Amino acid sequence: MPMNREEIFHTVQETLVDALGVDEEEVTSEATLKGDLGAESIDFLDIVFRLEKGFNIKIPRGELFPEDLLNNPEYVEGGKMTSAGMEKLKAAMPHADFSKLEEDPDVSRMPDLFTVDTLVRYVDSKVNAA
Amino acid sequence: MGRSFLAGRAAAGGTTVRWIWIDGFVEFQSGHRAVAVKNVSLAEEHLHDCYPGLPIMPPPLMIEGMAQTAGILVGEARGFAEKVILAKIRQARFERRVVPGDRLRYQADIEVINEAGAATKGEVFCNDRPIGRVDLFFSHVDQNVSGLQFPEENFVFTEQFKGLLASFRQGLGQSKDGPKKEEPLP
Amino acid sequence: MKFVLVDRIVRCVAGERICTVKALSLAEEYLADHFPTFPVLPGVLMLEAMAQSAGWLVRVTYDFEPVLIELREARNVTFASFIRPGELLEMELVAKRMDLASSEFVGTGSCSGRDVVKARLGLVHSALVGEGAQRAELAERLRAQARMQYELLGGPAATERELVGQSD
Repeated sequence: MPMNREEIFHTVQETLVDALGVDEEEVTSEATLKGDLGAESIDFLDIVFRLEKGFNIKIPRGELFPEDLLNNPEYVEGGKMTSAGMEKLKAAMPHADFSKLEEDPDVSRMPDLFTVDTLVRYVDSKVNAA
Repeated sequence: MGRSFLAGRAAAGGTTVRWIWIDGFVEFQSGHRAVAVKNVSLAEEHLHDCYPGLPIMPPPLMIEGMAQTAGILVGEARGFAEKVILAKIRQARFERRVVPGDRLRYQADIEVINEAGAATKGEVFCNDRPIGRVDLFFSHVDQNVSGLQFPEENFVFTEQFKGLLASFRQGLGQSKDGPKKEEPLP
Repeated sequence: MKFVLVDRIVRCVAGERICTVKALSLAEEYLADHFPTFPVLPGVLMLEAMAQSAGWLVRVTYDFEPVLIELREARNVTFASFIRPGELLEMELVAKRMDLASSEFVGTGSCSGRDVVKARLGLVHSALVGEGAQRAELAERLRAQARMQYELLGGPAATERELVGQSD
């Protein structure tokens, strides 16, 4: 069933309010799940489950949050993501915005990739797939 | 049902159970729903601390009752192959106080289950009246949680818990493996 | 087991926040079951420890008027790591809202800087007032016991320290 961005955003917003116990006002498009909304690893799993249920989609493990890539030491050098690593990440996460990370691919900044907008774009691609 | 389980343990010289917050199962549909009961009795020591002279069943111990009910349901659904750890209490709410003499019933349903973990929802009844809900999230733990090394064996599902399930199935005249659902319910 | 899940009150700002500690010892019998080869503090006891901590703040704030403090709701309680025997669960409970009848808290627990647990709690309080002479007597007894326990836990010193603005 096709949904527009606004509808998707609203449902994602509700999902995050339930899963993380934050107030609706905090769940803005640019808010990062970990830094701004306080999500922990177990919350990421909970969010995947709720999105699957809320939008009636299947989210294969690692498709929304590619933990294996992020935790792979092969792609890290001097505390920064290598260009090979960045390429792999971009290919794995077409729903994420890499512009800020291009300037400084520090490994500690990787969690910032996961914003509310990242989720909305991912859900959009799944729900509105032809 | 419970009697055969306890007699067996006494004969085997088993130690007293100290962290079991359900008394037995009354319903068990593999991969779908489990219902367990727990009696609240003045004979339970911890009740006399909260509060001295006014014993009240502490809500976190009711959450644990649901966690044990749901945890066994989730574990059994995958043949007790993995360690199933309570990772998150999504929501727990109790509308009414529970006191000695009351009979609790924990009804747990699996919402989602896969290799990463499981989400369950549950209703709590006291003397057959609904008094609360407990929705949980379990994680199928691997060796890397917080960099800790776990013992190899599945320490979560001890013989005590498996014994409760076995007793229930014996009571129904079912085989050890019980009836299995072909697919998890949506 | 003795159902007392707070061993020390470290800091206390009436109406605002409380910092407490629960020490875990292998001598606590339930550990034999949780788990047999891997003793760790059960998650629900971390929740109870936080609820009891919040309860102390409510008592101090209202000068021990509330006698029964019960956990009505717990939400988004995440368990990030374990507490093993010999370790301390260090908690901080911050009141988001508090009045004589109920309160809401955000709680965190850690151990030597390691995140252990986070939770949102809703409590209801009652004074057992107006329920007959026997209840009134019981309420007074519970109040007196609470005051004594509060001293045992180091409460008065923890509160004064904050009031005169001394650093830890």
